[in-house]
This record gives sequence, C-alpha cells and structure tokens, in this order.
Amino acid sequence: MAKAENNKAPKTVEVQYGDGTKVVVDPNKKGKLSKRETTGYAFIIPYVVAFCVFSVYPVFKTLYLSFTQYKGGIGIKPVWTGIDKYVLTIKDEFFWRCLLNTVKIWGVNIVLQLGLAFLLTIVFIDIKYKIRGLAIFRAIYYLPNIIAATSIAFMFSSLLDKEYGTFNQILSMFTDHRVRLDWLGSSSLCFITIGVIQAWMWFGNSFIMLMAGVMGISSDYYEASAIDGAGRWRQFTRITLPLLKPIMLYVGVTSLIGGLQMFDLPQIMIAKTAPSYSSIRTVIMYLYQFGFSGTTAKDVGRAAAIAYVLFFIILVFSVLQFIAMKGEDD
Amino acid sequence: MAENNAKVQNENGKVELKKNKAPMNVTRGFFLCKKTILYICLILLGVLCLVPFMLTIVNATRDGHDIMTSFTLIPGDKTMVNLKTLFQKINIFRGMFNSLIVALPSTLLSAYFSSITAYALAIYKFKARGPVFAITVVFMMIPGQLSLIGFYELCKELGMIDTYWPFILPAVAAPGAVFFLRQYVLSILPRTLLEAARIDGGSEIYIFHRIVLPLMGPGIATMAIGGFIGSWNNYLMPLILLTTKDKFTLPLLMSTLNDAMDIAKNQGTIYMGVAVSVIPIIIVFCFCSKYIIGSITAGGVKE
Amino acid sequence: MRIKRLVALSLVGVMATGLVGCGGKDSSTGKSGKKSDKLVVWTLAADLETFADYYKEKTGKEVEVTVIKPEDYPTKVGTALDGGDKSVDIIVGEPQMLKSFYDKGYFADLDALGAKDYEGKIVDYVWKVGQSSDGVQRAISYQITPAGFYYRRDIAQKVFGTEDPVEIGKLFESYDKILETAETLKKAGYKIFASDAETSYFSGDEPWVVDGKLNVSQARKDYMDLCIKLYQNDYTAFAAQWSAPWLQGMSGELPMLTADTMWGTDDMNIWDSEDFAEKTKDFAKTEVFAYGLPAWGVLTMRDNVKETAGKWGVCAGPASGFGGGTFIGISALSQKQKEAWDFIQFCTLNEETADWWIEKSQGDTVSLISALNKHAEDENATYGGQKLYKFWLEQAEKIDYSKVTEYDKLIGDAWGTAIGAIKTKEKTKEEALDEFYKQVASDYPDLVIEK
Repeated sequence: MAKAENNKAPKTVEVQYGDGTKVVVDPNKKGKLSKRETTGYAFIIPYVVAFCVFSVYPVFKTLYLSFTQYKGGIGIKPVWTGIDKYVLTIKDEFFWRCLLNTVKIWGVNIVLQLGLAFLLTIVFIDIKYKIRGLAIFRAIYYLPNIIAATSIAFMFSSLLDKEYGTFNQILSMFTDHRVRLDWLGSSSLCFITIGVIQAWMWFGNSFIMLMAGVMGISSDYYEASAIDGAGRWRQFTRITLPLLKPIMLYVGVTSLIGGLQMFDLPQIMIAKTAPSYSSIRTVIMYLYQFGFSGTTAKDVGRAAAIAYVLFFIILVFSVLQFIAMKGEDD
Repeated sequence: MAENNAKVQNENGKVELKKNKAPMNVTRGFFLCKKTILYICLILLGVLCLVPFMLTIVNATRDGHDIMTSFTLIPGDKTMVNLKTLFQKINIFRGMFNSLIVALPSTLLSAYFSSITAYALAIYKFKARGPVFAITVVFMMIPGQLSLIGFYELCKELGMIDTYWPFILPAVAAPGAVFFLRQYVLSILPRTLLEAARIDGGSEIYIFHRIVLPLMGPGIATMAIGGFIGSWNNYLMPLILLTTKDKFTLPLLMSTLNDAMDIAKNQGTIYMGVAVSVIPIIIVFCFCSKYIIGSITAGGVKE
Repeated sequence: MRIKRLVALSLVGVMATGLVGCGGKDSSTGKSGKKSDKLVVWTLAADLETFADYYKEKTGKEVEVTVIKPEDYPTKVGTALDGGDKSVDIIVGEPQMLKSFYDKGYFADLDALGAKDYEGKIVDYVWKVGQSSDGVQRAISYQITPAGFYYRRDIAQKVFGTEDPVEIGKLFESYDKILETAETLKKAGYKIFASDAETSYFSGDEPWVVDGKLNVSQARKDYMDLCIKLYQNDYTAFAAQWSAPWLQGMSGELPMLTADTMWGTDDMNIWDSEDFAEKTKDFAKTEVFAYGLPAWGVLTMRDNVKETAGKWGVCAGPASGFGGGTFIGISALSQKQKEAWDFIQFCTLNEETADWWIEKSQGDTVSLISALNKHAEDENATYGGQKLYKFWLEQAEKIDYSKVTEYDKLIGDAWGTAIGAIKTKEKTKEEALDEFYKQVASDYPDLVIEK
C-alpha cells in the first residue's frame, strides 16, 4: 500500500497507481475527484455501507449495551449503568467456571487436533516413504468439518446415548457385560467427549493448513539438505519445524478464538437437566442464557459485558500464545 | 554431532530409522513393512472419520427397537417407515429449501460484492482505500460474539426479526472474502491487460465485468463454496432471529427433532433425520472437495 | 463471455431467490392479511388446540395454534414481541412467567376489552394471578390447579382404619406428621410416596423474594429436611417422577428400587415401561400410598390407575399449593384484539365451554365458579365417588397467590439441586447451601442475600 502514498509533489506530477498504471495529475486541481477515484468509491460503496450497518454498528451497539441495564420488553429502553455489568461479570464465579469449562474442552480438542495434524503432516512430507493418495486422505479427513455442527451433535448424541447408543453396543461386544458409559451425562467424561468430537471435526482442517504451509517448499529444501548430509532429525528440526511453527501458531490462535466461542455442540448435546450441564456450560452458552433466553434472569447488558470480557480474554490469550511461540524461536 | 549414525525418530510411534546399519535387503523389507503400517494407520484414521456417518446411515434404515437393542452394519428394511415418521414430525425438505433460500443469495451477493470491493481496493487509488482496508482487516480479527447482541438489536430496530434479511444482506460485506480476493487480484491480474482494455475505451464497470471477474473465477469459487457451507451450517443466528417454524433453516429444524418425538421409540427416525441432512453435503463434497479444501488454505493466506 | 453470462444469471438468481426469501415474510403477512379473522395462538400445552377446534366448530372462526415446549416458550415470545412481531395474537403463560411478561408489556389490557365485567366469576386466585402489579387484568386461565394428595383408600383403611379424606388429610397436615405417617406405613410394608418429590407442591409458606431480599424461610428449610429424610429413611419407592415405576405405582404394585437403582442399572431402564416391566419381573414388590399432584393429576391418574380405579381418594396437603396452569392473554402487538378477546372469553368465561371441557378432558378442573358449582355434586368413580370439583374449589379458595414471584423458577431449581446434592450425600448441607446462595446471587445480582 505504501507505494501509492507519495503524491505530495508540486506542479503536475506523475502518479503511480496501486495497479502500477501511471497518470499525470495536476495537484493544484483540488477538491475534485478524478474519474478513477470516483469509480473506486462507487465500487466499494455497497460494501462500506453494508459493513458499517452489519459489522461496525453491532459491535458498538453491544459495547453500548454492556454499560446499560436492559431486559428487553415492548417500549422498554436501556438505562445507563456505567461499568456495573463489567464488575458483575468479573466478580461472577459462574462466569469463570464457564470459562474454565470452555478452556477444558478446547484443551482436549487442541492437543488432539494439532497433534494428529502434525503427525499426519510429517508422515506425508516424508520423502523417504513417499506416501501416496494425499488428495483422497485429505478429503476424507476433512469431511467431518463441512457437516453442520447441529447434525454432528444430533448424530453423536444418538450414537453415544447411554442406554441405546451404538457406541456402547459396540463396546459391549468386547466385554462380557453391557457397557453403559454415560458419555454425555457424566460430568467428568462429557468435556472429553465434546473435546474429542471437536477435534474429530477439525483435525482435517488443521492438517490441510499445515500441509499447505510446507508443501511448496519441501522437496527442494529437503533434497538440498540431504546433499549437505543433514540427518532426518536435523531436517526435521531445521526445516520442517520452523516451517510448521507459524502455521501451528495460526491454527492454534484461530482454534482458540473459535474454541472459546464454542456453542452448538454442548448446547444441543447436553440436556439442561443432565448432571453434566453445569460442568459443560461454555461462556457463550452462559451469554446466551442472559442475552437471549426467556428466563427472568435475562440481562442483555450483562450478556454484552460477558461478550466484551471474553473478547478481552481472547485477545490476551492470543497475544500470550503468540509470544510463547515466538519466544521459542529465539 | 553424532546424529548421523543412529537416529531413532519417533513419528507417531512407528517410524524408526537407523542409518547404515543393516544389509540392504533387510532394510528394504523393514522399510516396506513400516510403510504398510503407516498406510494402515492412515486408512484407520480415515475409517474413523467415516464410521459415525456409516453407522448413522445404517441405523436410519433400521427399526427403532432393533437399534436400541443390537448393533449391526447390515442395513434394515425400515427406510420408508422411518422417512414417513420423520416427515410427520418435521418437514426436512422445507428446512433444506429454507437453508437454500438463505445460503444461495448470500453466497452470490458475497461473491459479487466482495469481488468488486477487492478489485477496487487492489487497483484503484483513492483516499479512503487505506482506512477501509485497515478496518476490514481489524474486523476479520474480531470474534463474532462481540456483534451477536448488537446484531440482534439492529435486526429489531430494522424490523427484520423472523425474516431472512439478516442472513442475506450482511453478505454484501464479508471482510474475510474481501481480504482474500484482494490478495488474489494482486497476484493474478496482469496490469497490461487493464491498460489495454482502458485504451480500447471500455468503461470501468465494463472492464470489471468483462475482464476482471472471469479472471477471478477460481478465487471467487473458492470463497463462495466456503461461504455457502458456512451459511448452510449456521445455527446460532437463526436460533436467535427466527421464530416461525415454517421459516426454520435446516440446522434449526434439526434441533427441534428432539422436542417432537418420544426418543426411545423413534431412534430410527432421528438417525434418518441426521442422514437426510448430511447426505446432500457429502455428495456435494465428493464433487467439489478440491475447491472446498482450497478455501481453507485460502484462509491461511492471512498469515 | 460464458462467465459473464454466468454472473448475469447469478445476479438474476440473487434477485429471484431474494424475492422468494423475503417473499417468505411478504406472503405470510399477505396470508394473514387475507384471512384477517384467523387468530394465531402460541401456547405451551396442546389443550388450546382442542379448544381451537371446538371454537371453530361453534363459531366457524379459524384459529391457528402453535405449541412450543415450555423451556423455549418465554424465549420465543420474548424474541418475537421484542422484535415487534405482530403476527401473534394470543400468548399464554404459566404463573412463574407471568410477572415478567407483564413487566415487559407483552400482555394487552383485558379490562379495556371488558374483563372487569367478569370479576368474581373466576376462582379468585386465578383472577389475581392474571393481574399485573397495577391491578390490570392481563390473562385468564380456564383451569385451576390446586394441589392435593391422591391416596389409596384401601391401604388407608388397612393401616389407619379410615379412608375419609378429611381424616387422611390430617396425616399430611404438617411435615412432621408426614414423616410420622411415612414411618407407620413403612412398618406396615408400604411406601408413603413413589418419589421424594411428591411434597414439592406444598413447599414453603412465604415467597422466595420479599422486598428485593432472598427469603429462605423456616418452611423452606423444613421442606428440605423433609425431602432428605424421606429419601434417606427409605420412605419412598425411589421411583423418579414420570418414570415407568412411578406410573406403575398408580395401578398397584411396583418393583422395589433403591437409592442406587432409582435411575436404572446396566440392564434396566426406568423410562421405558415395557423394558422396565420385563427386567424387573423378579424384583420384590411394594405398594405406594400417595401421590402429590395438582388438580390436573386427575388426567395422569385417569390413564394409569387401571384396576385400582375406585380405590383412590384425594385429600389436602400441609399447605395450599398449586402447580402450573395455562393463562391466556392477548399480545400487546396484536391487531385483532377484539377477535382475540372473543376467543379468550370463549375458552375461559363461557359456561357451555366449561361443561364441554370437563367432559372432553374427563376431569380437568375449570376455573369458572358457576361451572364448578354446577358440577360440585358430581361424583368421580375413580375416587370412590368423591366429589372432586367441590374439593378442588375449596382448596383453590385457600391459595395465597402472593407467594408467586418471578424468581420462583430459577431459585426453585437451585433449591432442588441443593436438596438433591444433600440427600445423596454428594455434598454436605453447608456446601450445598453455599452453592445455592452463589447460584442465586449470580442469577439475580440485584437481590440482597443474607445467609
């Protein structure tokens, strides 16, 4: 972008456009847009308008509401309360419990998801084994990711049902008694279950990202280093790992941003009456309860404050993760 | 360092390499053996990805009582019965149709407006260009939950609750797609082509439609498929904004499946519901997995 | 060229589908525009569907009824009405939802439509529950739901030597008395209740919240102790409410379950009646003396008593509680208020409808006093000829509606969770109460909480 910012010259001057075209411009002719400028504005106007209305406005509206007391209702307006809702959220033990639940689910998920993706990547880029069929494996591993989370949730809540679930039936075939593992109802098991399903949905995605990061470069580098007599371990630490690291960081951060916003799976799979509900409730489920549910505890301002506190936490986490990964480099 | 001699490398616990130790043919046999094990592991992982869907599809053809009491991979003969019960409870095709009505226009709007915006941001020079681009990038980073509540309030203010507008109109502004397509334009569009077209006297919009858009085709397709799937699978927004059951999109309709039935008696029907919702996506995936996978790495361009 | 045509086509597609898409809205409003007299009802229970059919039969006017499950109902109503949805005409509410619905302005003023004229014609507590804090009538229910104990006359005769509802009522007049009765029954080889939740309709004598302060009255604590003792002393049959054994107990013998087996075992599922009956064939059997249910329990009993029909009686509990009840009102945004009021009048204030409903539901208890008086002498054969309508009317007159607060649902849930944790010894009383206070403080940060 920087290359296009140098048009502060006297008299007429040749200006280079972003696209590389050069046009002679008279800088004294101020206040009038050139034809191309007008076209540029015309082309982005729909985007800018929609962007302001549907992206920018909601974010600031949420911010405004987070400083108000507002429960919804006909003809009821939000009342300004200052930072009350933030104080409330930060002091609220249940908010932190929900955050902990979310992080637990995400933790199970990310270890599996990145671990699997990482192993798969080093298997597929290994020049010694020359594993074939990348395209088909990749497609199959990715399949769970494109299915709607609601369908996945329904599928697994049926398959994992304690009484009638097919999974328990399969396990029962290997033991002499009937297996009745309560995958979703047990407080200790459910977040592992959800984390594994989440990893199952996303490891293919991470794998593809990692592969994309190393593919173009790999063979040349590897062959060159092989000629240099570098061992496989050395190749791995010197070439593969440095190549994978930024992508793993990227995958980790995006997964965290997504993971902290987890909603669909636990919301659909765990019944509100299940004993595991309180140990699986995620931050967004908590937010949803205050922001959108019809209970008398509804408090839109509080939900908005939860959103912003969560945003801040995500920000901190992302920066920390970024620093941690960077720090290892040095 | 001595690392050239005996290296024990543990890649998923199977790969192990010892250099220059055994005679050639032994090493070779060992190597093939390990390679086979690797393949088996990869295939097993693939099976793991498919098994839940297979079980679902098989169970969708079986009798509810059988599903509850036994496990088998052999399809049953209750397909039609389950389908019929399913349709008595929810109209799943209506849900698909609704999802299509939401996903198709939003994808097309997003494709067209993201392209034209990306093109303008990449090629034209105007004062607002830098700020617009910067804000676009910032909003790509902001998690969706920040706008969730405000978005609902906005829809209330605009009277769009229980309509499809909130899912379609915002597609005009898709920061992620704009970002990606801008990079795409910069990398694929030959400047000389534009020059030539301008000398020929083509209007700017004509040049965009006639020359730029076709060139951007693959990039747009990649973005569009990603956008379509995202829209098709969206659950939270419709959950918050739609109230009339006739307007429910597929994911939302699916989530009402539980309410509508006596679970213990209708296992086959539930599986059928999942199967019907999943199979079209699997079929689409079989044909465009290349583009779909392209769209993921496209996201990675951000790095 | 090809691509351009494709793009052009796509754009046409966008517009076409866009039109269809918003067409969804347009056509639906268009529809309701055409059939302007067609009322739209959102309800929680299927009852109103039956009422709507009858309404059409009598008046020829069509009513479209959508049944939404109770836990989603307040959310749906909130989303629709906050969002300015004018397509709904009639909304309903259960007592614990009503106050917040009134505060949010969801219900239209029925007095303006003439509800005042009917004052005194509906059982008092129902009438009062239907009023917002400013005394304006906003909702009316067609039924009353006072709670009582449904007991087995034959067992009463055997153990206590009497089956008279008044005498048996004395066995339930206080929590202590209930425990005493339970002990007597246990010695005689019976269980007083199927589950330990049977007394829930009679819990607490004060509201949960008084002047913005959480109020855990002595009665609440006593109720907690009662539940714990019922559970820990094996006074109940460990049959979870609405499970197969719980329903089975209504027709006589049920398998003896324990604290460990009450939620099922490896090969026994308590929610599947066939499976349950099959798997528990060889279990020791026991019999249950009583069930605590509101007036609509008559309908549950109707379907489950089987050969014990005629052996049942109903008596009063230790407090005058009530459970549920569907209150019908008009959406403040409805454009068909007159028509909606006509439907509400038809459902709640019309004696002929009340007669029909009594017959149709085979024993539901209406709220219209004249109808209750008319049927006061009706004898119900299932209950040994007891005059149930008269009984329920008496019970309903004692109900103190001011106990209901908008906080009841969540605070009650949290209290129940605490009781559950204590009785199973999962938590100590202290820990469980601590968690309870925390939960309430989190749900309702504005409440003053003194432990």
